[in-house]
Amino acid sequence: MNRSDAIALLSRAFTDEPVVVSLGHPAYELFAAGDRPLNFYTWGSMGLTSSIALGLALARPERRVVALDGDGSLLMNLGSLATIAACSSPKLLVFVLDNGQYGTTGGQQTATARGADLEAAARAMGVARTATVRDPAGLEAVLDASRTNPGPWVIVVKVKESAPTAKPPLDCVYIKQRFMAALG
Amino acid sequence: MTDQAAGNARDRSPGSVVPRWAIGVSDGLWAGGCREVVYVPDNPLSHILAALGRDHPAVRATLATREEEAVGIAAGLHLGGARPALLMQSSGVGNALNAVGSLLVAYQIPVVMVISMRGDPGEWNWAQVPMGRAVVPVLDALGVQHLSIERGDESRDIVLALANLAFGTRVPVACLLPRRLTVPVEGGRA
Repeated sequence: MNRSDAIALLSRAFTDEPVVVSLGHPAYELFAAGDRPLNFYTWGSMGLTSSIALGLALARPERRVVALDGDGSLLMNLGSLATIAACSSPKLLVFVLDNGQYGTTGGQQTATARGADLEAAARAMGVARTATVRDPAGLEAVLDASRTNPGPWVIVVKVKESAPTAKPPLDCVYIKQRFMAALG
Repeated sequence: MTDQAAGNARDRSPGSVVPRWAIGVSDGLWAGGCREVVYVPDNPLSHILAALGRDHPAVRATLATREEEAVGIAAGLHLGGARPALLMQSSGVGNALNAVGSLLVAYQIPVVMVISMRGDPGEWNWAQVPMGRAVVPVLDALGVQHLSIERGDESRDIVLALANLAFGTRVPVACLLPRRLTVPVEGGRA
């Protein structure tokens, strides 16, 4: 499964949910899959996608909140897994698009290409629900499970690198203002 | 980890006196509308958490593992409509800088950062001095407005003024707590 396929599938699955997405290729491919005000595109602060989503989940416990992170990004902020476990927001879903490389910077290997297991890390930190999926059917199945089983969820999605075809707006303030207006 | 701030009051020994400056910071955050505090602990900051827990138990305090992570959580809290405050030591400013620049400043996300200083007069630990000295120039370089609290009786108004600036004009701001405010000069080693 290419990352763009996984992101397109997730983009179709989350129509009403706010989605926080990691900078670079994941953000580009979420935009290409369908721009919407409830997408919060980061353009910097690598590693903080899951933390931003956690803060949002704490502020708005009635909403399902989705993070689309990368393996390289989450590896920069592994402490976030401990905080997510401790806060135990039941409606927080963190997807880790794990391609084993820093795709946006030229494809250098990440530690997951050498055996680092981010699902195991999440479980070790005490995250309530974790999964690793490798194909669209597995991703659909875990999406179904996440609708009935309270989280927080950390779902590692094993993907192949793909080539983004578009980029989201660069105006950070516009991204934020329309996101907050859409969230209500 | 998230608890009502009341839980943090128990972190200090029973009967310990909350200093006036810390009560003022707590009251200023409350008056400024802050109901969410994200923190990485240090000793002076524990007085603020104790004051919040005693006087404003509706404030939720969330513990982060690192200051950069705390900036991300605070940003998300604001996206959800909250007026967040961040409590960190000056050493943690170094850990948080890129997030302050590329998230808070770039996206105009208001956060009140309360920074307990190391490395300023009264410091005993040389390792704390370089980052402590860099805090003000770095905040200036990022365009983050800051004020320093010099006396306990001005802390509420300074924090409230900074909070009004932050949430009124959508910018991160910083309130610095110098060591001569937070640590007794005589025998001050904390």
